[in-house]
Parts: sequence; structure tokens; C-alpha cells
Amino acid sequence: MSNTLGTEVVPADQTAEQPGGKRALSEGARAERRLGWMLCAPAVIVMVAVTAYPIIYAVYLSLRQDNLELPQLTKFVGLANYGAVLSSPFWWDALKVTVIITVVSVAIELVLGMLLALLMHRTLFGRNTVRTAALIPYGIVTVAAAFGWQYAWTPSEGYLSAAFNNSAPLSHTVPAIAVIILAEVWKTTPFMGLLLLAGLALVPDDLQKAAMVDGATGWQRFTRITLPLMKPAILVALLFRTLDAFRVFDNIYVLTAGGNNTGSVSILGYDNLFGALNLGVGSAISILIFICVAIIAVLFIKGFGTAAPGSDIGKR
Amino acid sequence: MAAVATTGKQKVGWGTANTIVVALALIPLLWIISLSFKTPAAITDASFWPQQWTLSNYFGSTGILDTSTFIRPLLNSIGIGLIATFIAVVLASMAAYAVARLAFPGKQLLIGMALLIAMFPQISLVTPMFSIERALGLFNTWPGLIIPYIAFGLPLGIYILSAFFREIPWELEKAAKMDGATPFQAFTKVIAPLAAPGMVTTAILVFLFCWNEFLFAISFTSTISSRTAPAALAFFSGSSQFTAPTGPISAAAVVITIPIIIFVLFFQRRIVAGLTSGAVKG
Amino acid sequence: MMSDKDGPAQRSGGRPRRRPGNRRRAWAGLAVAGLAASGLAACGTASAGTGPVTLTYYQYPDTSGAIPKQIAACNAQSHGKYTISYQQLPLASDQQRLQLVRRLAAHDSSLDILGLDVTWEAEFAQAGWIQAWTGANKQQAEAGTLQPMVQTAIWKNKLYAVPDNTNTQLLWYNSALVPNPPTTWAQMIADAEQLAKQGKPHYIEIQGAQYEGATVWFNTMLASAGGSVLTPDAKHVSLGAPAVTALKVMHQLATSVAADPSLDVQEENQNRLAMEANTAAFQLNYPFVYPAMKADNPKLFKTFKWAPYPETVAGKPAHVTIGGIDLAISSYSRHKSLAFQAALCLRDKPNQLINATVGGVPPTLTSLYSDPKLFPDYPFHADILKALESASIRPKTPLYQVLSIDISHLVSPPGGINPASTEKQLVNDVNNGLQSKGLIP
Repeated sequence: MSNTLGTEVVPADQTAEQPGGKRALSEGARAERRLGWMLCAPAVIVMVAVTAYPIIYAVYLSLRQDNLELPQLTKFVGLANYGAVLSSPFWWDALKVTVIITVVSVAIELVLGMLLALLMHRTLFGRNTVRTAALIPYGIVTVAAAFGWQYAWTPSEGYLSAAFNNSAPLSHTVPAIAVIILAEVWKTTPFMGLLLLAGLALVPDDLQKAAMVDGATGWQRFTRITLPLMKPAILVALLFRTLDAFRVFDNIYVLTAGGNNTGSVSILGYDNLFGALNLGVGSAISILIFICVAIIAVLFIKGFGTAAPGSDIGKR
Repeated sequence: MAAVATTGKQKVGWGTANTIVVALALIPLLWIISLSFKTPAAITDASFWPQQWTLSNYFGSTGILDTSTFIRPLLNSIGIGLIATFIAVVLASMAAYAVARLAFPGKQLLIGMALLIAMFPQISLVTPMFSIERALGLFNTWPGLIIPYIAFGLPLGIYILSAFFREIPWELEKAAKMDGATPFQAFTKVIAPLAAPGMVTTAILVFLFCWNEFLFAISFTSTISSRTAPAALAFFSGSSQFTAPTGPISAAAVVITIPIIIFVLFFQRRIVAGLTSGAVKG
Repeated sequence: MMSDKDGPAQRSGGRPRRRPGNRRRAWAGLAVAGLAASGLAACGTASAGTGPVTLTYYQYPDTSGAIPKQIAACNAQSHGKYTISYQQLPLASDQQRLQLVRRLAAHDSSLDILGLDVTWEAEFAQAGWIQAWTGANKQQAEAGTLQPMVQTAIWKNKLYAVPDNTNTQLLWYNSALVPNPPTTWAQMIADAEQLAKQGKPHYIEIQGAQYEGATVWFNTMLASAGGSVLTPDAKHVSLGAPAVTALKVMHQLATSVAADPSLDVQEENQNRLAMEANTAAFQLNYPFVYPAMKADNPKLFKTFKWAPYPETVAGKPAHVTIGGIDLAISSYSRHKSLAFQAALCLRDKPNQLINATVGGVPPTLTSLYSDPKLFPDYPFHADILKALESASIRPKTPLYQVLSIDISHLVSPPGGINPASTEKQLVNDVNNGLQSKGLIP
């Protein structure tokens, strides 16, 4: 992922402790390696045991024509499924909708999340109330919240529809996407806010105080001190939020069921995999979603450079 | 914190900001609460608050709390969530510490693998995982959900925690070791308190992931013995096959949210507690 | 899906064991299983010594209490041979199907009696997941049952399920606004436009969201215009001129003032709510709206009347699409003969009456429609029976799910229909669907 593949930074203190030259070096380094592996082992074992076979199986399925309803036609077809997906207008429509929802909602959430983090960190009173209240939207089960939104926006049934002149936004593509984005933003801004708050809390106050003494304005302090120090937290927040936003499903499923051209790529995958029981095409769609998401991840990590985890080893 | 006196204007400013945030966060929740107190006939009126308050969605023959079909899924959610979160945070802390502090080959592989798992669309994993669970006898059991939740919660945990561990200055551990502390003591007395914000953040986010998770919950369970709350919502039924059970679902949403409020209230204090304890200023 | 190419489960007691693929053993296993099964069927007392057998019954979640009543009645009638255990499925039909498909495809032997929607039988039968009904069981299943319902359970000339309950739509209207109900769609739309001019509630409520309900609406209109989606052999697309007629009427509704502004996202429940809120004058919906209106809006209930479904083409009686549930027996069940008996009991006359009066779903036994016990809850029983006896069924093919999604995506939103080009696109998409080519939206 980052640029320091394979190059190991030998901790300076270990060489100092063992003034024996090369052999002592590798002993310390070997102990460190063993410790590293031992610490990682449980996590790796769980992750691999649970997902290795399913992921490989999904890739394998995507290379076959496999339809549960027509089992006699099952055979290996190489990349034909991918060809079918990439040449289908349904895929590109869904991709367009997905990209719009992802970009807009993540952008809004980043700004709002940052404001929320600042508020949660610095507000003068009622901190517990604000923090608890702000985190609650993330804790409400998505499906239940989506139902709430659906009823709120139904004409002559909901308060939001009434507030907007009894309109029916869910019946038209663009307003429906706006409502979906609203539901997504409301639900996951706390996620961003929480991660950014954790990053904010790590920024030492002394630096801020020193800068204030030097006469820096609030905005200057924010952009020159706070933001750069928060880069790792911002990366994690942005990365995971974008990965999740790209795979949006629950909100769309409840609000519009993908109707009126509001279906995302996940809904397309769901329909083909579970609706049509077309395992080959459905798996191909999933792999393509994964590839898109992987591209996004690589772009983010390259963009954030040394802020990526594992790219260097702590502050020695 | 800043030592300047808090002026009235500042108080008003922050107070307004607080109010806006709380309002935006809670109004949709209040709408759901209001729906849960409406009678089925009143669902159609566009009023925000019920004109006729009723407890029938909570208690009584149509109430969700009086039939056992909801209490058990709620308990399942809590139990599975807590166990999965605890294990995930422990495992992620260990791995994140190694990633942030130690040099060993395969580190990039670990990070990449974690990211791969976080990115892979889960819908295509459901069917093979279902087959594995049936073969191992894990279908419709607590471990049948706990283990996948740990596996899918670890990537987020590892990323957050390794970002945290990196920020903690190495000198602190060295200083502790010079003072004669064992590595374990150095970890628990010096590093852990500083990493507490990260661990709490991870715990909250992993728990909420388990809490909200629907796809695995509905695919890997078949009875209420291990079905969790979000999946149980799919089994709610109205007075007929076509009637959406708005009242019961809203009531269930309210009931599900209460443990979350308690959980968040308890944990959010500790997010920044570690840093202001003064260790960094040493 | 992990296709179980290893040997079949052993039926003679014990849990199913998977063996490494070995043809000879597989055939031997089959022979043993066949002998054991026939032995079981012959004597039927194999389980008598060990207590009642538990049969799992997978059905939609019922809050009315009707299903537990039926189960209790059948348990008592079995005289200790079996105990039925009610396993709830999710509320949404597609979630129910997923749960069943997932476990049947994995050859789960813990499923016995399955409550299937009327459109799934072909799919499940073709995949070998449900057992065919033969001999006396078949006769009992078909006797006195509504013909269209029996049709839904037949695939390749074999009966695969027994109809349990059914459903069909009527025209519901507010007699205070419309003293004489319209008999055709054109008339209904004209009536609505008239009401609109007078500033009165005038919407025509129909399911226009992009889901199965839209396919049902299209199927009704198409069948009423004398057409069908597939040819009788279910191998080729039919559609054609009747489809264009049907699409014209649907488009006409969607672009008139009679269309509810939320038409594009409306399902049965929203239609009901709009009618109860007195914003609509007409409603095409299932009978569940009757007791609901009674409970929710007693004032409006006084002028809440019903009539047969309007004709698409004047002079041709409508053929409303039939819905409902059939009971099938899983091919992997370990107690098939008992399960057949239990299923027949669950849908016998007294139990269907309970279903109708307590559970609110119309029965499938024709004789019940002249049973006075039905009348208080079903004052519209005569109209329903007429609609049911002339009902149309949805295309019978294992690929129905694909066709349904293709159709619903083209007819919803109904405002976007262009009769001629939509018909051509339907032919194209349904053709692709039949050959499992390409994606579904």
C-alpha cells in the first residue's frame, strides 16, 4: 500500500543495547519479528479463516455461467460475465448513481463531521449531552431510520413532505437521490465526527497556545496546525466512509427499492445474485464493485502518503 | 484548555451551536418516537406529534414488549455485540501495536488483507459463508454471528488503532523501560491510557457495526434463539400481509436505541480523558 | 452456491453425512434411501414408537393468531403422529423466498412444509426442491379447489403444491363521490377527471412502484386485454397487440389528474392509507382494505363500497391476477408422507375458514364461498369468487423472478410508458430473461 515495502527500520535503541555487532542486531530484530507475528496472529487467523474461502469462491463463481434456476447450463466462461456486466446499461446507470451519492454524501459528511468534531471537543458546556445526542443517529438501526424517513417524506402523511408543500420527492429521480443522501448524511456524520474527534484530541494544546502567542488567527491555527496533525485520522475517516458509501444499500432499498433510476451498484448486485439467482453475473458484479472500491482506496492512500498506517514506525 | 474568561457572547455562540446539532440529530428520532405512539389509523395524519397517544405498540397483544419475539432478539444483539466488540478490540489492539511499533515482514500484507476484507462486497460472501457455517454446525448460533462480526470489525479496528499508536511518542516507552518497567508494564501503565481514546472509539464503532448489521443476521439465523434485532424487524407483521407494521417497527426502533444511548453515554466521556491526564506534557 | 455433489443424505435415522464424491456409493445410498422411504411410507408407524414427529412449517409471520389455531387443530387431529412447529418467515415476500432458497439449495433437511407464494412453484419444482403430489394426496389436494389456484401449483403436468389461501383485487370506491361504479378503465378515469373538476377527492389508487405489484397490475391489464406474457409452453414471448393496449391504459392513468402524485412509489399499503385519508375516490386493492377501513375510518366506512375490477377493453371481462399461498413439501424432508398429511390438514375446510375469518385471507375451497360463516367478514364474497374463478395467473416459468423484475422496471414509473416502444423493449428483455442472458436491472 505505501512506499516502504520491505524496508525495515531498525530501532536505534536495540542496537545501542546490544553492542555485539551484526549477530546481536539480528537477535533483537528476530525477537521483534516474532513478537510482531505473535501479536498479529490471532487477528490474521480470524480474518483469513472467515473470508479466505468465500472470497476465492466468489471469484471462482464470477468466471462461470452459474444460474441456480438453470443448473444444467453451468460451465466455465472466463471473463464473459464481466463482459456482460460492463456492456450492460444497467451497470453504468447504477455506477453513475452510486458515484453521485458517494461523492456528495462524503463531501458533506467531511465538512459537517469536522464541524461536529470541533463542537464536541471544544464546546464550553453540555459536552456530554452534545456528544451523546450527536452519536445517536449512528446507533439507530438503518432500516428503522429509513422507514422513518420514508414516512416523513410521503405526502399527507409526513411532516417533511408537508413542510415542502406536500411534495413527493421519492417519486422522482433527483429529489429521491437527495433524500437518500440526506438519510445517509444524517446517519453517518456521527461516524466521521467521532473519528475526527479522536484525531482532534491528539493535537497537543501547547502547539495551539504557542501559535496563539505568536499571533496566529483561529483559521491559521486550524489549517496550519490542526489539520496536518489530523491527517491520519482524516484518512481513516475518509477511507472507511467512502468505502461504505460506495456500497450503499439499506437506505435505497427501503426508500425507493431502486426504482426511478435510483439503484446503486449494490442493489444491482443484490437483484442479480439473489433475485435472479444468477450466481455468475452476481459475483462478477460484486468483484467489479470491489475493484472500483479498491481503486478508490489506492487513490486515497497514495494521496495521503505517509499518513497511511504501517508506512513508518511510530515516532522514534 | 484556554484560560481566557468565557464571555457571555461565547456562551451564546456555543449554546446556539449545541442546540442546532442536538436538534438536527434528534428531530428525526423524535419523529420515530412519535410514530411509535400513534394508533394505526393515525399514521396517515401529517401531524408531528400524535393527537391520540397509545401504548398499544409497546404493550398489549400487538405490543412488541409483551410478545417474546422481540425481547430475545434484543438480548441477542446486546450479547453478540458486546462479545464481538470485546474480542475485536483486543485482537485489533495487539495487531495495531505490532503494525505501529514493530518491524516484521508481512506488515504490508496484513494491512492489505485487512483493507481487502473491508472492501469486499458482503453479498457475494453470504452464500459460501452460509455453507461453511452449516457444515460446522454454526448456523443459527451466537458464534455463527460473533465470528464473522469479529472478522469484519477487525479491519476498521486495526486501522484506527494503528493510527493512534503511531501518534504516541516512542520516548514514553523508552522512559518507562529506563525506569525499570517491564514491556508489559510499560504498555499497560503508559501506552494504554494514551491509546484509550482510540480503543474507545474503536469499541463504539465496532459495536455499532454489529448492532446495525443486517445481511449476516438475516442469512445466518433461522429462529429467535440467535436472531438479532435488525433481522427481527424483518419479521414484524402488521394486521395483514400488506400492512406495513409502522407502529411496531417504530416502537422497536425506540427500544433498540435505548441501550445505544446508555452505551454511548458511558463511553463518550472516556474518549478524550486519556490525553488530558497529563502524560504527554511530561 | 455450494452444490452438493457428494452422496445424498442418509435417511435411515441419524444426521445427514456428506461423503467424498464416489458414484457407486452415491447410487447405493440412493437405493437404500429409496427402500427406506418406501418402507416408511408403507407402514407409516416407524416413528410411533419414538413419539410424535416434529414437522417444521415455514409460513409468513401471522399476528392474527390464525396459523397457531390451525396448527393446534391439526396436531390434535394427528392423534400423536406428528407435531407441527411454526417457523416464521420474514414479512417481505422476496426475503421469504431467499430464506427458503438458501436452505433448500443447501439440501437442509430440517424444512418440511413450505408456504410458497404462487409464483415460486415452477422455480422450486424445476430445481428439484419440492416434492410432486401423486395418487390420493393429489386427488385430495385438487378436489373442490379453485381452478386457477391449482394451475399455479402445476409444473410440467405434475402437481407440486396444495393451494392454501388466495387473494385477488377488487375495485373499492367511495359511494358518496361515485354513486355508480365504473365498469371500464376509461370510464373510471373519466369519472375521476370529472371529480377533479369539482374539486373533490379524485385519485385512482393503484400500485405503481417498481416491484412485484407493478408486474401484477400489468399482468391483469394484459390478461384482460386478451393477451399473455408467454406462450402456453412458457418458452417464447407472447405480448403483442394486447400488451400495447394494456400499456396505453396504464399510461393514460399515469398522465391524467387521476394519478396519485406518489403513484411511482406506491404499494398496496400506501394505496390503502390514501383511501382512508379520503384523498382518493377509487382503489384497486386486495380485500384487506375492508377491515382496515372499518377500524381506521368508521365514518368513511359507511360509504366504502366495492365492485368488480374494471375492464381494460370494453366488453371483455377483466381477468385479475391471482395471488396467494400454496403449501409444498420439501424434497429433503425426512418425513414426507406425514408432511403431506399435515399439509392437507392445514388447508382443510375448517382451517381455511379460520384463515378467512381470523387471518383475513380468502379461502381456496370453492364451497366455502357459499358458507354462511364466511359472509359477515366477506360481504363481497360473491364478487371475489367471480374474480377468482376467472383469474389470470402470472407467467409460469422457473425464471419468473427475472421476468418480474424486467417487467416492473419497464412499466414503472407508469408515466414513462410509451406503449409501442415499451412493448418492443418488453419483448426484448423478456426474451433475454428467458435465456438468462445479460443482467436484470
